[in-house]
Amino acid sequence: MAATPTLVPRPDADTIGAEIAEFDEAAEADRPWVTVVWNDPVNLMNYVTHVFMTVFGYSRDKANKLMLDVHQKGRAVVSSGPRERMEGDTATLHGYGLWATIQHD
Amino acid sequence: MKIKRRGPLVRVDIDSAESGILIDLLDDFGAMLDAADPGDAVTARNPVIQRLFPDGYRDDEDAAQEYRDLVVEDLRAARHARLQVCRAEIPAAGGRVELDLEGADRWIRVLNDLRLAFGVQLGVSEETELDPADDLAQIYGWLTAVQDTFVTQLMR
Repeated sequence: MAATPTLVPRPDADTIGAEIAEFDEAAEADRPWVTVVWNDPVNLMNYVTHVFMTVFGYSRDKANKLMLDVHQKGRAVVSSGPRERMEGDTATLHGYGLWATIQHD
Repeated sequence: MKIKRRGPLVRVDIDSAESGILIDLLDDFGAMLDAADPGDAVTARNPVIQRLFPDGYRDDEDAAQEYRDLVVEDLRAARHARLQVCRAEIPAAGGRVELDLEGADRWIRVLNDLRLAFGVQLGVSEETELDPADDLAQIYGWLTAVQDTFVTQLMR
């Protein structure tokens, strides 16, 4: 059985152009925000890895690599996206006692 | 304290002395959270409160204040609620606590809050060597060992 063909009107070039411009604008506004986790002397390394796995659903390898970045380089970008979501991520990490901030990438 | 995970359950065996210490620590910590208003600029300067409720923005005081207004009271209430649930689960005379993974997550967060508070009071840095004769340092060391075992069991 084949799917019933549906007639899709072809969008004109102007509409497509406007949609792309809108998309770019949204991307411009959304992309530059990141959540950064900073090194601190109290949080245990395995705890930090566990938090990254729990909060972001990252694999153990990815979470561990981010934890090592925090530990060795002093900071790591742990998520990126719209500002509001980064504030949510930061608040969640603050709830776990991690030292996180929001900033422009 | 003995902590052992079996599948979706975590068993925590606490002796009576440990129960007494934990209950005292949680009560003191709860009282501090009650008294603190982390959204208020004055109490926010308390270094323990600063560590528990850090600024969301580093170089933008307006954005930091907006973030504080938005989340700090929720964070404080959630911290307090987690603490109260753990406090109620501790058998006063010692005994076993059985936790599901959500409960275990709550416990490691509460233990971590206590460690953060002690860490600030002890001025812990990467280079710190704590005096084993110091009471606070002993409690901090014990909390660290418990936390480490807990997380290790959870990540098995």
